[in-house]
Amino acid sequence: MSDSLNARLKQLIVTTLKLEDVTPEQLADDEPLIGSGLNLDSIDALELVVTLEKEFGIKISSSEESRQALASIAHLAEFIRARADPSRLPG
Amino acid sequence: MAMTASAPPAVAAAPARNPGPSWGYRFLCACDAVLPEVVFRPLRALGTWVALANMPAQRAHSRAYLKAVTGRDPTWREVFRHFFAFEEFLMLRLRVAHGQAHRGDLAPDATGFRELLASGEPALLGTFHVGHSDLTGFLLGPQEGRRVFMVRQRVDNSHDTEVLGARFGDWVTFIWVNDPGNLLFALKDALAAGGSVALKCDRLEFSAKTEAFEFLGARRLFPFTIYHLALIFQVPVVLSLGLPTRPGHSAVISSPLFRPDAAGKAANLARARGHFQEFLARLEGHLRDDPRLWFNFTPLNPPVP
Repeated sequence: MSDSLNARLKQLIVTTLKLEDVTPEQLADDEPLIGSGLNLDSIDALELVVTLEKEFGIKISSSEESRQALASIAHLAEFIRARADPSRLPG
Repeated sequence: MAMTASAPPAVAAAPARNPGPSWGYRFLCACDAVLPEVVFRPLRALGTWVALANMPAQRAHSRAYLKAVTGRDPTWREVFRHFFAFEEFLMLRLRVAHGQAHRGDLAPDATGFRELLASGEPALLGTFHVGHSDLTGFLLGPQEGRRVFMVRQRVDNSHDTEVLGARFGDWVTFIWVNDPGNLLFALKDALAAGGSVALKCDRLEFSAKTEAFEFLGARRLFPFTIYHLALIFQVPVVLSLGLPTRPGHSAVISSPLFRPDAAGKAANLARARGHFQEFLARLEGHLRDDPRLWFNFTPLNPPVP
């Protein structure tokens, strides 16, 4: 399940943020999402948060929580797995 | 979510930015209660001269702005009138906060505002530090039954905002930006709760997204976050100004509604740029008619190559 969730998250990040010249496969599981080469700002983070909330039915309610969740793909997957209804996770 | 004026959060206030000391508004209110206007107004004018003499930074920013509008160095009298217009607006805010009647009348071409009021849907309300604009958000509640979240920077002399919040507490909730880290999440919660959010669109502070627009003879940076928020939350944007007309009234001028559509982010943002630029051109026209209207005592929006 871990690999499929990570892959789904990478896909979501690339499509939601319209990242040019980046493919989902190029995103490493431990790569920081904020303040890294992806060059995401706070609005990008908010857009990603809103998308994740819709996709997985979770709630991210503060910037501190979002910073923790968006620390990396691996952190994000762990965060979602702990909060989302299992039926909403990719199999 | 309770729609009451929020208590100021436990965050440090930014240094006073508005001309005047932190006790100034309370002093004005006390004088207003005992002095007739025929005596009080000349005293306020005198106080404005004192402020003008003691605020070299604000004076320099006023001069730079007035020069950009008129194309020539402003006279002392023009700078004074700019300061005094701001003082008179602050006085109006304080009086409205203490119960003086005031109405915002929709201008005939305020189509965006009319459409929004008719639909009742939540929206992002973009406004500017111009004329009576700051009052229109407060008037929306009692006049039109709209609850508004207002983004504000808490400064040392926020007394006028606090008393306005107390009067219009049933309709207005402040989102203080002194905690910029959580500002976007506060906006998210406000919109999720079905509220409308008023954001100032002329100053760059706390703006995550900026873009350059033609304004006062140059391409200048302006906040553009409001349109990104519109796309994220799929809510419309309307830009508005409140301009002084006759005593007790302001004219509310608005843009058409900008409504995100299914055309994709790039196409929507391109359309948003046109929407904002068109309204900036209208704003510039108003400022050229009466330069005192823009209370810009901070550095003018920087030009970009």
